[in-house]
Amino acid sequence: MIDISRVQKELQDCEKDRDSSGIRVCPKSDNLTRLTGTIPGPIGTPYEGGTFQIDITIPEGYPFEPPKMQFSTKVWHPNISSQSGAICLDVLKDQWSPALTLKTALVSVQALLSAPEPKDPQDAVVAEQYMKNYQVFVSTARYWTQTFAKNSSLEDKVKRLVEMGFGDAQVRSAIESSGGDENLALEKLCSG
Amino acid sequence: MESGEEDGYYYTSDQESLDGLDHDQSNLQPLSSTVNSAKVITKESLLAAQREDLRRVMELLSLKEHHARTLLIHHRWDVEKLFAVLVEKGKDFLFSRAGLTLVQDHPTFSPSSMMSCDICVDDVAGHLMTRMDCGHCFCNNCWARHFAVMINEGKSKRIRCMAYKCNAICDEDVVRSLVSKTQPDLAHKFDRFLIESYVEDNKMVKWCPSTPHCGNAIRVEDDELCEVECSCGFQFCFSCSYQAHSPCSCSMWELWRKKCHDESETVNWITVHTKPCPKCYKPVEKNGGCNLVTCLCGQSFCWLCGEATGRDHTWSSISGHSCGRYQEDKEKQLERAKRDLYRYMHYHNRYKAHIDSSKLEDRLSDTILEKVSILERRQLQLKDFSWVTNGLHRLFRSRRVLSYSYPFAFYMFGEELFKDEMSAEEREIKQNLFEDQQQQLEANVEKLSQFLEEPFDQFADDKVVQIRIQVINLSVAVDTLCKKMYECIENDLLGSLQLGIHNIAPYRSNGIERASNFISSREAAGEKRQPPNSGWNSEDTSCSSRKRPRREGVYRNNQTTLLDLNLPADVIERK
Ligand SMILES: [Zn+2]
Ligand SMILES: [Zn+2]
Ligand SMILES: [Zn+2]
Ligand SMILES: [Zn+2]
Ligand SMILES: [Zn+2]
Ligand SMILES: [Zn+2]
Ligand SMILES: [Zn+2]
Repeated sequence: MIDISRVQKELQDCEKDRDSSGIRVCPKSDNLTRLTGTIPGPIGTPYEGGTFQIDITIPEGYPFEPPKMQFSTKVWHPNISSQSGAICLDVLKDQWSPALTLKTALVSVQALLSAPEPKDPQDAVVAEQYMKNYQVFVSTARYWTQTFAKNSSLEDKVKRLVEMGFGDAQVRSAIESSGGDENLALEKLCSG
Repeated sequence: MESGEEDGYYYTSDQESLDGLDHDQSNLQPLSSTVNSAKVITKESLLAAQREDLRRVMELLSLKEHHARTLLIHHRWDVEKLFAVLVEKGKDFLFSRAGLTLVQDHPTFSPSSMMSCDICVDDVAGHLMTRMDCGHCFCNNCWARHFAVMINEGKSKRIRCMAYKCNAICDEDVVRSLVSKTQPDLAHKFDRFLIESYVEDNKMVKWCPSTPHCGNAIRVEDDELCEVECSCGFQFCFSCSYQAHSPCSCSMWELWRKKCHDESETVNWITVHTKPCPKCYKPVEKNGGCNLVTCLCGQSFCWLCGEATGRDHTWSSISGHSCGRYQEDKEKQLERAKRDLYRYMHYHNRYKAHIDSSKLEDRLSDTILEKVSILERRQLQLKDFSWVTNGLHRLFRSRRVLSYSYPFAFYMFGEELFKDEMSAEEREIKQNLFEDQQQQLEANVEKLSQFLEEPFDQFADDKVVQIRIQVINLSVAVDTLCKKMYECIENDLLGSLQLGIHNIAPYRSNGIERASNFISSREAAGEKRQPPNSGWNSEDTSCSSRKRPRREGVYRNNQTTLLDLNLPADVIERK
């Protein structure tokens, strides 16, 4: 059994300082086992300006077992699989502590974007490029950020969804409650 | 060294003093008082053995048991090393390295007041919260769930505090009591892990590798490089946990074992001696110097390249076919493979022959006992027949040495391990030196075996006396030769190598050390101490019948203690 109250508390806390941290966690399902995390690309890195979404699965044993996290936005990074989005991060494995939270884990993921560990790679191709040809790595990572992690603006999303036949206010609140995820907002709108 | 005149067998200079009966006996009889340092730790005594080490550390540092355990697990149960670190680097270093935090004064909280647990974010009454030694405090529910996850993940030995980056190891009493409330079987599992850590994390303790496992572990005192015998009868090398294999080194034995089990040699034989027919693909054996081979199916082909050919040929060529320029290379390759294979077969045959002999001689022990009892019933002037059993023991021991000296020689003088260590001449000199000794030993062992197989129980008085002299002489000779061989290996062969990785368990005249039962110091103080060689005493045999599968041969039944060279002669006689 998942500790619902703890996860709910975490979501509330996260919501409180989302403006300062830029980190958000939104539920994907009602039973709180599937969530979506959102982190902004750190400033001064090739990921700057991008918004990265992370699929979160809460295991039965949470918080005594670490949450499972995986990028759903494509990222070019030595410790993140360019194919699957799998993350190689100690905090999500043996360094996990029940005292950590989804938010602190996401902060660690964000820190990983700033400080890659090419010696402990998840994606060997990226890691090799990082070590041997850093400039090429930077431009590839930047290109991927531009291509996959640039959100269209809120107004673009609203416009698209309104065009599909939903009301403006309804659309705005759906996008709001989906943490800016256009697809999630559409799902919510469709399910009523 | 001096060669006996008759038969050319090797005798020691001791033969001159043969008249001194007792003198010879004491030469043969290894002293049972030699320090018997290896200990058998049964399932039952595992806890006591562990407690003893824990107590030493607890007393010296005035620590709680779980703190002592944390330190000991960190130092792989090496108490001496732990004390050395304490002396050299101090207490703080010792503790922090092992993840031991001792903070004495934490703010106390009233048991009735409500507190918030940071993990489950619930408000919990103070008495339902637990503070670890590191000062971190969480509710009992959360602790219990954390412990359960850790135990199930196999991390019982080092369950860390729940706080992020806190390295403190949780108090095992807290773990036990909180877990057993909800999951008693898990608490049991936790205890088992802790107990077994004493064997698994301890470089001086190893499980007996017998199969089926006898349940015992063996603890050695100061040298891991030794061979021991468990109370179940299994003799093994403490360093690598395979059967005792000296004078072969562990890595040589590992290679040899693989080589023997590997079918590659047989495969090699087939590739050296046969080739598939290009038409029907059956292996065809070459039988003669001619390189044109004909398969049973009638197809002719060229042995060198395997291609189908016609049947017309001369000695040097096959008509309409030429592959001559590859001939030399192929021939060389073939020669090398053949040479390697024959070399292996040479050593393996001898190794195998001695292993087979030793199996046969194992069976000799029954008939020998029979012969001794017949002799005892006869009214002979000779009353002491310990020379028979001693000789037999010496035979077993040296036969093993001889067997394992072949794989040793295979690697020592082969190209696999020491190709660049010696020049060809050097290798030859060393090989001759070693083989001389090996042959001497071999000759004497065979002779000893021959004498012991004679029906001396039927012999007349004077002939028994004769054979006794022979057996005693050969026993001494064989022992000396074994000793010399080990010395030669250590000093002249391995000692001069640059790669110092080949260590050999030392030769012990009185056989592979038989581990005695572990007795905790507390038990020892309270109870009557068992004799150091408890391999055969009554308490031991009574429990052995319950759980120890006795191996065929020497240790089969109680009577066989007669063959125990570890016992003084007078004890054997009394039995
Ligand atoms: Zn709690
Ligand atoms: Zn702590
Ligand atoms: Zn055993
Ligand atoms: Zn070994
Ligand atoms: Zn054929
Ligand atoms: Zn021919
Ligand atoms: Zn040919």
